Amino acid sequence: MKKDKYPFGQFLILPALAMMVFFVLFPMVWGIVVSFTDMSLVGPKAMKLDFVGLKNYVKLLSDPDFYNSLRVSFLFTLFSALIGQAFLGLLLAIAMKSKDIRGKSLVAVSVFLAWIIPEVVAGYMWGVYATRKGMFNFILSFLGVKPVNWLFEKPLETIIIANIWRGTAFSMILFTAALESIPEFIFEAADVDGATGVQKFRYITLPLVSHAILIDFILITIWTFSVFTMIFVMTGGGPGNLTELWTIFAYKRSLQPPYEIGYAVAATNIVTLLVLALVIIYMRMMGRLERMVS
Amino acid sequence: MNRRPIFLLAAHTLLAIVFIFFISPLIWLVISAFDPEASTEFRIPSTITLKWFNSMFEPLGGVREGVLPVTWIINSLIIATATATLVTLLAILSGYSLARYKFKGQSAVVKMFVILRLMPAMVVALPIVIIYAKLNLLDTFHGLVLALSALILPFALLIADGYFRALPTEFEEAAMIDGCSRFTAFVRVTLPLALPGVVTIWLLSFVTAWGEFLLPLVMMRSPYTYPAAVGIYYWFGVYGRVEYGRISAFSLLFSLPTVLIFLVSRKFLARGISGLVVR
Repeated sequence: MKKDKYPFGQFLILPALAMMVFFVLFPMVWGIVVSFTDMSLVGPKAMKLDFVGLKNYVKLLSDPDFYNSLRVSFLFTLFSALIGQAFLGLLLAIAMKSKDIRGKSLVAVSVFLAWIIPEVVAGYMWGVYATRKGMFNFILSFLGVKPVNWLFEKPLETIIIANIWRGTAFSMILFTAALESIPEFIFEAADVDGATGVQKFRYITLPLVSHAILIDFILITIWTFSVFTMIFVMTGGGPGNLTELWTIFAYKRSLQPPYEIGYAVAATNIVTLLVLALVIIYMRMMGRLERMVS
Repeated sequence: MNRRPIFLLAAHTLLAIVFIFFISPLIWLVISAFDPEASTEFRIPSTITLKWFNSMFEPLGGVREGVLPVTWIINSLIIATATATLVTLLAILSGYSLARYKFKGQSAVVKMFVILRLMPAMVVALPIVIIYAKLNLLDTFHGLVLALSALILPFALLIADGYFRALPTEFEEAAMIDGCSRFTAFVRVTLPLALPGVVTIWLLSFVTAWGEFLLPLVMMRSPYTYPAAVGIYYWFGVYGRVEYGRISAFSLLFSLPTVLIFLVSRKFLARGISGLVVR
């Protein structure tokens, strides 16, 4: 557009910026300040707090509960997102492309529904579904599996499976779009050359969707690493702390007794650095992709 | 040639298993909402009942004495409507500004919004509770609406930015040549053209605010101000004897707007996601 007579248009972004500064950036900075204090949410330390320097961070580095929560979050992300959702999503996207498979849209809708229903409802459903009398066991009984309360017998595995259920739709939609962007004539040319289905997948599909796979990996890693609601409603982090993600750890430390919010915020600050590193990698990649395309 | 039917059979079996896996928790939810003796067990009821839906209007007992569950739905409706409207307004203004004007540091601003969109909500939620406690904003609708809006805004803004960029500028330029001011050109020409995008932004913001759990969980302390999401959690987690039929019926009602809105905007959403890979 030509030089504008109305230069004030740039300022239209100010209300949005102000909102982000007040309600996101300022709290995050405040969180850094609070993490150097012994603040608690209720009681005397809510009003009269002392600066304790790096004490919270030093304590965190030797807190087995914090390490446990990072370990649970890491395994949860690795198996439910990077392995489960991405793999199942790619498989479904390929199936959706096939012309000979019936009932595809029915499957797609069921995967989609699991993704869009409110997270609390998903947590409630799975909190019942995986119990001893629940429907999961009813289905497994056809495979000859003995009914147990999965939330107690295999808690980590159960929340991983529940999160595959919850999040596969995103990868499926992303990969479906990526597959659709491959021009059909490439496959036709390969057919003429006598390529097998496996060869076509290995030498055409995979290289052409590889950047979509990378984008998917990074996004679902960040999102899965941030999951709180579904697992919190499902298990509350239990039994013990076997399903205590770092988000649940931070919540319990700050909003339940002993209400050590300074300590909990210090923990979230450490995790923020981890997430920030992932986000920067993601943006670098998107930037490189844009340069490659244009 | 003989391998083809075997392959198809295997593919169909696999998809059938996937379908059962994804649909079965939902089936239990729907059935238990109509089962007069609903429990954790999966069973086909001999009679169906609407009593769980009617119980929305019966006051709760125990610690939440006197609260009607339907209040939680109304709270959610107020909170989500206010949030979606505020978010849409801010997103249109800034999306238009980003798409039509250039200023120094613009790409840095967009980058900041991308970063903030990907930050875990927990990182912001805890400090906000501290600040809100000082400002007496805990347990207020306006406090929650402002915090929720800030959480949803980056996502809405990035959609709006993309939408305005894709919109041709010829029409508004023609209107301005014909004597419209920039503002009237925006209101009379650009906005109507962008209407489908604006509606989608509003709907998606509404759905996000409607289902949001963490922020209201840490901010709302009185059962009278709970939105439905928090209500379900306390019902399931804290209530002495869990009445599954009641919670399932409530969950079903609570999920209905989300499902409807997503089915309507499914195409738009898929296009948004494919925008990540196809440029």
